[in-house]
Amino acid sequence: MKKTLYKVIYFIMPLLILVSCKKEKLNVENPNVITEDQFWKTESDAQQGLNAAYAMFYKPGLWSRWIYFRLDLTSDEGFSKSPWVELADWTRFQYINYNFWEGNVQSWRDTYKAVFRTNQVLANVAAIEFADQTKKDKILAQAKFLRALHYYYAAIMWENVPLVLEPSKPDDLPVQSTLAQVWAQVEKDLTEAAQVLPVEWDAPNVGRPTKGSVMAYLARAYMQQRKWQEAKTALDYFFTGAGAGKYDLVANYKDNFTHTNENNKESVYEIQFSDVNKGGDGDDPNATMSTNRPQFFAPRSIGWSDGQARYWLVNEFKKEKTTEGKIDPRLQHSLFYPALEADFNDKIYGRSWQWDSDEAWFRKYARDYYRNNEDYFAQNNFRLVRFADILLMYAEVLNELGQTANAYQYVDKVRSRVKMASLAVAYPTIGMDKDKFRDRLKMERVLELSGESVRWADLKRWGDLETAEKVAKVAERDPDFNNFQVGKHIRLPLPQIEVQNNSNLTQNPQY
Amino acid sequence: MKMKKRLFHYAMGTCAALLFSMQLLAQHSIKGQLRSANGEPLSGATIILKGTNKSVVTDEKGAFSLDVPVGSTLVVSYVGYTPQEIKVTNQSALDVQLQPSTAQDLQQVIVVGYGTQQKKDLTGAISLVKASEVQKRQATTVAEAMQGLASGVYVRGGGRPGSEANIQIRGIKNLSNSNPLYVIDGMITTANRDFNPNDIESIQILKDASAAAIYGSRAANGVIIITTKKGRQGPMKVEFSGKSSLEVTPRFELAETEEFARLNNMAYDNAGKPRQQLDMSVNTDWQDEAFQVGNMHDYNLAFSGGSSNGSYMVSGGYFGNKGTVISTNFDRLSFRVNTQGSKGIFSIGENLAISNSKTDEMSGNPYADVTRLLPTIPVHDPANPGGYGYGNEAKARTFGTNPVAIANLEDRTNENFRVRGNLWSELKFLPFLKYRLNLGYETSNDHYDYLRKEGNWTLNQPYDPAIAEENRARWQSGLVENTLSFNKTFGSHSVNAVVGQTYQRDDYARISGRKRNIIRSSTGEFIDVLDQGNEPQTGGYNQRAVLLSYLGRVEYNYADKYLLNAVIRRDGTSRLSTANQWGNFPSVSAAWRISKESFFNVDWINDLKLRASYGTLGSSNIGYWDYLATINTFSTIAMGADQHIESGATVVRLVNDDLKWEKLTQKNIGIDATFLNNRLSLTAEYYIADTKDVLTAMPIAYTTGNDGGNPVVNAASLRNKGFELSATYREDLKPFKYYATANITTLKNKVLELGYGRNNIYVGNTVTEIGKPIGMWYVLETDGLFQSQQEVDNYKNKDGKVIQPTSKPGDIRFKDNNGDGQITNADKALVGIPWSDWELGLNLGASYKNFELSMNWFGAFGATVYNGMKSLVDRFDDNSNYRKGIQPWTPENTNTDVPRAYYGSTLNSRGDTKRFLENGSFMRLKYIGIAYNLPPSLTNKIGFSNASVTLSGQNLITFTKYDGLDPEFNNSSIYERGFDNYSFPNLKMYSLGLQFGF
Repeated sequence: MKKTLYKVIYFIMPLLILVSCKKEKLNVENPNVITEDQFWKTESDAQQGLNAAYAMFYKPGLWSRWIYFRLDLTSDEGFSKSPWVELADWTRFQYINYNFWEGNVQSWRDTYKAVFRTNQVLANVAAIEFADQTKKDKILAQAKFLRALHYYYAAIMWENVPLVLEPSKPDDLPVQSTLAQVWAQVEKDLTEAAQVLPVEWDAPNVGRPTKGSVMAYLARAYMQQRKWQEAKTALDYFFTGAGAGKYDLVANYKDNFTHTNENNKESVYEIQFSDVNKGGDGDDPNATMSTNRPQFFAPRSIGWSDGQARYWLVNEFKKEKTTEGKIDPRLQHSLFYPALEADFNDKIYGRSWQWDSDEAWFRKYARDYYRNNEDYFAQNNFRLVRFADILLMYAEVLNELGQTANAYQYVDKVRSRVKMASLAVAYPTIGMDKDKFRDRLKMERVLELSGESVRWADLKRWGDLETAEKVAKVAERDPDFNNFQVGKHIRLPLPQIEVQNNSNLTQNPQY
Repeated sequence: MKMKKRLFHYAMGTCAALLFSMQLLAQHSIKGQLRSANGEPLSGATIILKGTNKSVVTDEKGAFSLDVPVGSTLVVSYVGYTPQEIKVTNQSALDVQLQPSTAQDLQQVIVVGYGTQQKKDLTGAISLVKASEVQKRQATTVAEAMQGLASGVYVRGGGRPGSEANIQIRGIKNLSNSNPLYVIDGMITTANRDFNPNDIESIQILKDASAAAIYGSRAANGVIIITTKKGRQGPMKVEFSGKSSLEVTPRFELAETEEFARLNNMAYDNAGKPRQQLDMSVNTDWQDEAFQVGNMHDYNLAFSGGSSNGSYMVSGGYFGNKGTVISTNFDRLSFRVNTQGSKGIFSIGENLAISNSKTDEMSGNPYADVTRLLPTIPVHDPANPGGYGYGNEAKARTFGTNPVAIANLEDRTNENFRVRGNLWSELKFLPFLKYRLNLGYETSNDHYDYLRKEGNWTLNQPYDPAIAEENRARWQSGLVENTLSFNKTFGSHSVNAVVGQTYQRDDYARISGRKRNIIRSSTGEFIDVLDQGNEPQTGGYNQRAVLLSYLGRVEYNYADKYLLNAVIRRDGTSRLSTANQWGNFPSVSAAWRISKESFFNVDWINDLKLRASYGTLGSSNIGYWDYLATINTFSTIAMGADQHIESGATVVRLVNDDLKWEKLTQKNIGIDATFLNNRLSLTAEYYIADTKDVLTAMPIAYTTGNDGGNPVVNAASLRNKGFELSATYREDLKPFKYYATANITTLKNKVLELGYGRNNIYVGNTVTEIGKPIGMWYVLETDGLFQSQQEVDNYKNKDGKVIQPTSKPGDIRFKDNNGDGQITNADKALVGIPWSDWELGLNLGASYKNFELSMNWFGAFGATVYNGMKSLVDRFDDNSNYRKGIQPWTPENTNTDVPRAYYGSTLNSRGDTKRFLENGSFMRLKYIGIAYNLPPSLTNKIGFSNASVTLSGQNLITFTKYDGLDPEFNNSSIYERGFDNYSFPNLKMYSLGLQFGF
């Protein structure tokens, strides 16, 4: 009897278990996420895909950290005394290990990560049905603007980069493009975006690129190629086109760098930073939307002090007084320097000067106006393009086109905000001399735009890095340029690992 | 046909002989006394009348009586002794002395997965590790304690409290995870730090494909089968063992303030930079601050017993480890109940282990920090937020972290409460047919706690408020196994077969929370609960994987001479896409016992067996949903005049959706032999293991924009070839006994193919290339130092171009391998292999009367390793402390290989050079112990059945030329296995152990 019972139990038990196993399919759904095949179906998907592309501004290889090392510190405005020697070496043309993550690879990777996101939008949104076609067009146009922006900076930094224009697959090994091809793609994307993007956005969408943002970058791309006529046509938008009267200079120069007066009338395009999230810089929940720039550029014993300004800037500011006989007020908001307290009765994060007497630190975007320390969560929007820059670009283009007389007014507008005399009064020897005008304009740009990540492109555009003699002149301001080899250091080396892993790529010349 | 005929004759002959002998039989009562070699009575031994079921067991005094026919044969056997056959004559009393077994190895029962075999019947490559050897050593995990105890098993660990050693069987089979599968009492799991090694009864390591094939898809990295202790028939036994140890970390030899200042000033002077204003009044020994004498306590108490139809074993253990680094700790409480019972054809049993482990984790890496901090920095500095010294821009510039500060300002604990066990029952329908149901279950509740207090530990650190973080998670794994086994002998033919079906489901779920600005109580303590603070962040996710398998095995044995074993397993996994879920993994192996052949007649060879096997194993050891393209929905952006937050969604990580099973094909030949009256036993193996379609997250081009980890791909093909030799010699020269075991392993790995059509993978200073071993060193070659400006000027390529025009005397001369007249990445060369040519384990033991001495040596030879510490402190371009006695080149001191000290430039201090590669060979005394077993006369008086005291030491002596802290270091990256990046070293340990039972 007992035996029978065992047998019964034994035959039933495994059966029950076997049955339950069968029911458990091997196909286990991932309960944590949505899959790609469920996505790219709705208008909201399209908008979210686009937003994810904007989030790339917050990544350390790009605008939350390292790109300032490439654009500001490598130029003659800045340099590094970082105890992290390799980091500093990468601001003074001592590129030893081309795979240095912080100096090279991360910026490269994040550039293409951003490109990948824009490519996803461009490839997938086309097939999504929208109730309002213009809404869809605007999404595509924004993606094109963002892609062009990232390729613009890739062209400035590495020049000969591969153009990836379709969503990536793991085994992609794209073909290298020439600098001319990269510029052509930037022009194409921007030209197409310009046809769609609005002159102004409604309040909830302020911060997305306007037609003016596009025209600014289109002009920059043309100017880097010295296509002055095309550049002028693009910039005409702000003066005779639909953008005329939409922009102006803010009264207080300082308002261009704080978090309290963002997206103002001077702003042509700015990165929308926020300190709402206090997370890491990966693609995880609570990921940071902030910039680390002030933490990395703040003076020693306040921040990492990995980058600082060359002292010649202080001297340059002090060469000319305002019409009221005062020191150029832009100096106060551009730099921390030894005489700051004496000159403006201002302090450095609440401290008196405690650094070397020949040192200066970048002040723009520093948050000492409301706190005495820094962290990784700065919320100040970074002004990629200000109207003051547009004015100076326009002046430059006009001068190059031989319209020097016409160019004066735009420089004067910038100068007059800070109560500097008109250019003709202050520098009567320039006259209609194109070269003299250009030389002065170079200084006008530094005084207005130092520390705003335009100087490296300026030096390249002006040809100041094309001959040994010219480089020697730059080296007088910034001795790091003594390491500069003409024809080599004008562009970064491609990450070595990328060249090794992709036989379609050739390392940049002389590396 | 011929065979059949022979079999027939053989069978007929046997029958005839039996008939003949029966006629002669006359019953005869015989009494006997059984003793051990030194005269002690042996109780509980079995005496069987050969060829029958008739048997008796000796009583407490070792006596027995039995009615047997004259002329018959008695077989006397007792565990641990050589069985003896005795011819029955007319005598009425027998006095039998059994000799301790020297060939007991061969009789050992081996758990092979869903069944057991005797060691002599093995056809595959299986190593046994003696539990007693493992338990001798003071170790957190069983893996760590296995170093050198079996051939073909690579172990690297370290002395961090709660750390788990890296273990790898027969080389690197894939490029991701090399940890083997653990099967503990039939539960498929891991023997992590929650598992108490003292509960182990036996360990077997399944190394080749045929041995491991029954575990199919899970066995590509080998299988470690652990059986825990069971009760034995008899009254309750109580066993206690306790060990207390002191731990001492090896230390760097670093400069003190005076020497440091001289070198630091030299580096600044050479660079033309103003010297630092070093504070010469401070001379901090950071190693004294960060390190301490650690200790370990391990106490275990076990109760066991049983009857003829049931047994029990209850054990409890406490393991405590105060680390050699300040503020590190590990504690484990464990509890186990193993019971089993049977009635008639039904039996049932369970193994249940409950443990709670708590780790006070290390913050930062103090081994790096003690070398980076300058001796001129004080430990405390009230001028800094938090009050700790970490340098100062003018006086002591370094990015090092103050280890005391980080230890106090960051609290990190991990606690795991784990229940692991299985319930099994068997029904023996027929004597040869058995059904077994095995239900396994494991769960752990994991709790992670983090508190970051306000304050700084490094120069220029960004401000952080007090932050509290907590994770709680639950892991569960359920296993259901149905097996049916058949076991029958037909004359000389013996067949053993098993078929089965298994199902395992793993679940993991986690939630986490984080708050900032944690407040303090009035006493200054942080109230680190998540109700406090602000700016909350939360998170959570769930994971699940299912594995469904069918398995079958047939073992055939003819007269112990010919052995054949065939296995098939079919696995389905949820980790691959529907089309590729199923894989088949067959294997076959055979053995031939030559020594049983009639033609074999060599006196000094007692047993000789040849083995060969061929089989395929699989792996899907990847993430839960690596084949699935998903959308990352975590992006947020600020937008609008009000800077409101909008969400984003996009593909971040690329995937390969056509992933399939990784397959390992392994061929193995082996020989087992015993010689000289079983005094010498020897096992030798040679194998070739090919892995195809290796599932790995192989680096892809950055231009893809991929992030969040490289996509998993069936990328590479790898080959491992190896030879393993294990030899034991033991001899009993009463009262002196000794044994010696040597385990020798050689292993060569080679890349046959790489994914995406690529020829190489570069990681750090290594390259992995087709036709070469994984992770070869790929660096610039150096050619001494320039001794004069003339040497610099004369160092030209064939076109007369000066190769290093900016160099100065005292700088490194690099080899311009491509002859282009400049030093670039193109000059790098393959200069060394990070893998050992061979490894040696030596286990020696001797006993004299009541004293026992044992030693385990372990050595690895031929690896080229990268000294990460030297690459950091010998550079001079960046401030760290320096090695004591280092002699940088100066015009006065040119006889050195250290270039001139130069602050602030990497040109002379780059890490991607041959300069930091060293010979990593070493030989180490892993364990030495002397034990005293109290004589029975003494133990009886105090009511103990046995008692012993052991004094032992671990890692006491090391022979090596390696200049780093520990040549036996661990780097978890497969591509950079030879990179000693401040790995936590193995520690010297001094232990006192006490063990007794009653």
